Amino acid sequence: MSDVLIRNEPVPETQYVAAGVTISLAGPMQRYALRARRAEDLETVFQVTMPRKIGASEGGIACLGPDEWYLRTEAGATIPTASGLPVAITDISDRSICLVLEGPRAAEILMSGCPIDLDNFAIGRATRTIYETVEVIIIREAEDRFHVELWRSFAAWFWIAMTTAARH
Amino acid sequence: MILIHCPYCDEKRPEIEFVNAGQAHISRPLDPSSQTDEEWEAYLFIRANPRGRHHERWRHVYGCGRFFNAVRDTVTDKFETTYKAGEPRR
Repeated sequence: MSDVLIRNEPVPETQYVAAGVTISLAGPMQRYALRARRAEDLETVFQVTMPRKIGASEGGIACLGPDEWYLRTEAGATIPTASGLPVAITDISDRSICLVLEGPRAAEILMSGCPIDLDNFAIGRATRTIYETVEVIIIREAEDRFHVELWRSFAAWFWIAMTTAARH
Repeated sequence: MILIHCPYCDEKRPEIEFVNAGQAHISRPLDPSSQTDEEWEAYLFIRANPRGRHHERWRHVYGCGRFFNAVRDTVTDKFETTYKAGEPRR
């Protein structure tokens, strides 16, 4: 048996370059689904301020729903456990991949299949939404940079959809 | 495209992010074994089918994931109001 684990990504690891946009696969990171009725309990665990407004993100934590947050940290980071508190912390690191769309046409290309108005999507906002039929989480990192989190099994199709939109 | 106001996200979002989840304000009988067949049938299967104002459950499935209630006109497809689950009928 091989001693080396090979990571197979569902999309090419080389950046796709088109006029006004580049599409690339983000490096591996750790992702956690955080659930709690009361945000204070998660604040006790993580010792940070949780964003309370749905769609807000702060320090790598995005508020997706009234009791749901999405935490992304760099690979290899350790996060606290939460014994005794009514919270759920689930490691979903390998469920999703993250594609980075960068360039002045990034919003336009995402809007080829995403129904929300990304021109009026503030920097730092994060939301779950849909692209054609694929559930995605869109995070606006900067004026011309978006992170798109999507399930690994949809990634091959999504890559084709994105690169096709970028070519047009 | 219809925009639906999600009471949890507190903003109007495109219809494609939502799914309809049937008639609203139907509660499960607390003691099912005390129900007659007719009562149980009514709970399971019998639904209003109004022409006009209709109370429905919707779910913001590609969004915050929450169920909420909406008042929709079945003729015009216009949403009159939406409100959080658990709030009284409007």
